[in-house]
Amino acid sequence: MKKFIAILLAAALMLSLAACGGNTSTSTEAPAPSTTKAAEEPGTEAPVPENPGTKSTYDGSEVTIVFYHTMGSNLNDVLVDYIAKFNELYPNIHVEAKSVGSYDDVRDQISTEINVGSQPNIAYCYPDHVAMYNLAGAVQTLDEFINSTSEVKRADGSTEILGLTEEQKADFIAGYYNEGKQFGDGLMYTMPFSKSTEVLYYNKTFFEANGLTVPTTWDEMKTLCQKIKEIDPNSIPLGYDSEGNWFITMCEQYGSPYTSATGDHYLFNNETNRNFVKEFREWYQAGYLTTQSLYGAYTSGLFTSTDATKSYMSIGSSAGATYQRPQKVDGAYPFEVGIASIPQIDPANPKVISQGPSVCIFKKSNEQEVLASWLFVKYLTTSVDFQAEFSVASGYVPVLKSVAQNEQYAKFVGSADGGDYVSALSAKVCLEQESAYYTSPAFNGSSTARSQVQSLMAKCLSDNASDVDAMIAAAFEEAIDECEYQTGF
Amino acid sequence: MVESKQQWKAWLYLSPAIVLLLIFTVWPIINTVRMAFLNGYSGLAAVGGESFSFGIDNFKKVIEYKRFITCLKNTCVLCFVTVPLSTILALLVSVALNSIKPFQKVLQTIFFLPYVTNSIAIGMVFAAMFNIVGSAFGTPNQIIVTAGIVNNVIEFFGGTAVNWINSGSTHLANMTVMIIYIVWNALPFKILILLGGMQSINKQYYDAARVDGSTRRRIFARITVPLLSPMIAYVVITGFIGGFKEYTSIVGIFGADMGPAGAKGSMNTMVGFIYDALSSNSQGRASAAALILFGIILIATLINLWVSKKRVHY
Amino acid sequence: MADRVLMKEKNMEDVTAKSRVGVVVVKILTYVFLIIMAVIVLFPFYWMINSSLKTLEEYRWSVPSFWPQTVMFKNYLEAFTTASLGRLFVNTMIVGVVSTILSLIITVLSAFAFARLEFKGKNILFAGLLATMMIPGELFTITNYGTVTTFGWINTYTVLIVPFLVSVFYIYLLRQNFLQIPNELYLAAKVDGTSDLKYLWTVMIPLSLPTLISITILKMMGAWNSYIWPRLVANDEAHRLITNGLRNAFTATTGDVNYPVQMAAVALVSFPLFLVYIFLRKYIMKGVSRSGIKG
Repeated sequence: MKKFIAILLAAALMLSLAACGGNTSTSTEAPAPSTTKAAEEPGTEAPVPENPGTKSTYDGSEVTIVFYHTMGSNLNDVLVDYIAKFNELYPNIHVEAKSVGSYDDVRDQISTEINVGSQPNIAYCYPDHVAMYNLAGAVQTLDEFINSTSEVKRADGSTEILGLTEEQKADFIAGYYNEGKQFGDGLMYTMPFSKSTEVLYYNKTFFEANGLTVPTTWDEMKTLCQKIKEIDPNSIPLGYDSEGNWFITMCEQYGSPYTSATGDHYLFNNETNRNFVKEFREWYQAGYLTTQSLYGAYTSGLFTSTDATKSYMSIGSSAGATYQRPQKVDGAYPFEVGIASIPQIDPANPKVISQGPSVCIFKKSNEQEVLASWLFVKYLTTSVDFQAEFSVASGYVPVLKSVAQNEQYAKFVGSADGGDYVSALSAKVCLEQESAYYTSPAFNGSSTARSQVQSLMAKCLSDNASDVDAMIAAAFEEAIDECEYQTGF
Repeated sequence: MVESKQQWKAWLYLSPAIVLLLIFTVWPIINTVRMAFLNGYSGLAAVGGESFSFGIDNFKKVIEYKRFITCLKNTCVLCFVTVPLSTILALLVSVALNSIKPFQKVLQTIFFLPYVTNSIAIGMVFAAMFNIVGSAFGTPNQIIVTAGIVNNVIEFFGGTAVNWINSGSTHLANMTVMIIYIVWNALPFKILILLGGMQSINKQYYDAARVDGSTRRRIFARITVPLLSPMIAYVVITGFIGGFKEYTSIVGIFGADMGPAGAKGSMNTMVGFIYDALSSNSQGRASAAALILFGIILIATLINLWVSKKRVHY
Repeated sequence: MADRVLMKEKNMEDVTAKSRVGVVVVKILTYVFLIIMAVIVLFPFYWMINSSLKTLEEYRWSVPSFWPQTVMFKNYLEAFTTASLGRLFVNTMIVGVVSTILSLIITVLSAFAFARLEFKGKNILFAGLLATMMIPGELFTITNYGTVTTFGWINTYTVLIVPFLVSVFYIYLLRQNFLQIPNELYLAAKVDGTSDLKYLWTVMIPLSLPTLISITILKMMGAWNSYIWPRLVANDEAHRLITNGLRNAFTATTGDVNYPVQMAAVALVSFPLFLVYIFLRKYIMKGVSRSGIKG
């Protein structure tokens, strides 16, 4: 037996020794070739001989571009239609659109592919994904395209400029467009694709029956919760879907620091933030509200419930309006759903979160591929028809202001009601608050910060500690520690 | 002469396995070790042109982690409780299955069903079984919508409901749920292996024992277990190796937060730690943690092999 | 003397009567135990079917219902039509069958070498193999991805089959089984001049049939359930496997999974596997009876 152990140990040792040996030689060499591949090739191999940069333009050459997204089959159908329309203008640009799964799947797949340079040309992204890809410098900045005035010939004989016209730029909803510049260096990395936000769903039937008004501030919300508790003691007046969104939105509404893309990243441990968390803790303990993770089930399920315990308000994604609608009983909805903007600290300066996918373009050695990718991204994000059709199909909101005037979309929004057309109602509310959207800074670690404040919120609300202030202070410190540890390298 | 021929043949038979292992297992392991000893290595940053110095910072960083001990402890507790428990249960089920005639086939088929049950479904069941839906536990304003199936059963027998996995639940309760879940998950595989092994035991041994008038217990202890010991050793050793790599089952119950609401990371394990490091693209730290885990598993396996060498009959 | 015999006989009767009662009690307890375990084990399966028949709204209820209010057989139809299940089936079958056969060959040869042949470095090599099981596989993904890209295997069947042909788990399992077969049989065969392969085929394989079938089932399950690797290396229409196809097909709007339909699809997909098991179970029995004859 002794011999056997010795052999096993020897095997393990050999393994690690061999590996160490391999290490010394590879460690110095490995990074070098990959650097040249990722950073220098675009310049050296570019087929355009004259001064590359703003002057270069798509020359009509045959390219295939790959687009990773997370669309389900119904949305994919819309996309396929518009790829066909795009190909009427640019028949030589072949678009391969692939549904990769969830947003995290897209991120994991691409960050693996970047290691061997096989990443797609275009991808659905959230800002923190882009910050991660940027560790490898893999994402193309878009400023030179946006500002380019070079002409591109289309198949039908007409031309367009490569960049965006002033009207096109102005047509983007500012909050969405600026998300692309949240990376600390002021450069544009992403284009908004389709967006959602948080809205307040309320039980309109109940509100009308009891003469309640929809709250516009958090103070009003508190009084309202008190009232509802008096009317129906068995209820939890408000359900909040996501603690993470809640925390970040409150920071934004108070104007207190959350994170920064440059310098010291994690700034959320401050007095204002600790105070609002403490305040909401009292609400939770008084039974005024709950959140999805604390409740242990979908808060939309609580809102649409017809059982004894229910909520009369629910704050959740604007794209999930159909989940907030109760099931029909005997062919009629048990109650009518109303939708409004979420409560604010300062109604004169409202802040609501901007969510939903953007798209980014990856660097490639063939410049024509990158240019073609840009043309396609530009086509999708600036096409009013596409934005309208996609928004109707997905329940997300369009990123262009002028979509509101689109006939199809206007008809959709016009049908808004608190029953069958609840998605339209949600879209309508979103359109009305277009100036209120904010985005938070993106850096490698912004998703860690988000998940930490989410957990922090859940802990502080539910912890029954006797010394509340100490508990909250400790929880904040721990969240900061975790953030700094996870992204310490 | 014969020996050298055997040598030659052995390597021939092993060659396909060895070639594939060299390419798809050994090479990645070497690469793992390389990444572990490059300070702060990140794959994407390496592509971006950053270079890393040689050193042991990654290991330091792993051990410095405040929750490193938590991860280690959770991993060990889960492993040392679930492996023996599931093995004994699987052994009992296999013996019972092997001893009956009517319904044997039906029951055997039922015990196979979890294999074709999707893991998402299994996670959902547990949510439904242990999850309390409600709010503000432990305050005068507590509201409970449903206490979950398990608590309903407990209350039916006059017990008090336990907060298993929701916010404010104890670590002990969390662990209990995880242990039940992991044992449940591990059962079908173990039953399949043990039953397979049991059915290949020669019936003559049993007949001989019965002629001798041996009792059931004696037959079990003197014939079944010794003859089954290679299979038991297999199930235990691979169980331990798998147990130290526990991760997905915890995600199944607690989600990617690896803990009940408000106690993020309290149920985290070593592999969970590795995943966290990978998802923030710190492959250096992930590799270092993997090597530490490798060391632990190696020691446990050595002990296992040592025990089985003494106890297993071939 | 006669008295004594009588006494003894009476005693014997007592014992047999007692043991008869004992046997019945043990039988009943055995069944009770098995049935309880069976119910526990069956519960998730029932839940899968239950969820697959719900509407998405009902699935999101706070208090889960034990039987769907409105039974949605439509989910199954939707599952069958939205994901191009036919293509996915064929791909998965090709990968599953080919990789199972190749894997069995490699496993049998390796296990034979470890169990029966003497060669230098045998123990070291075996220990080394065991050691490779101990590193979490997630760390291999990036390196292996680089390797298969270099080989030009992306979007082929090869990339789905070859990297996972060798399983140390299976080699170990089969070696354990082979070790149980008396070495004398092998030496006798050698004296008779039987070749290794013939001996393997006529003696070793029949004797370890239950283990081989277990391996087959596990390997097929692997092809059915593998997700991360196939998604990474072969996510085109022509090679996509079932789990990938299913995961991507049922998003209701952007990113939201329609669980009931997904469950329906999973149930549909599990069905053939279940059949395979019922079909193979007979062979397990056969393997048992054959090993009984040989012994």
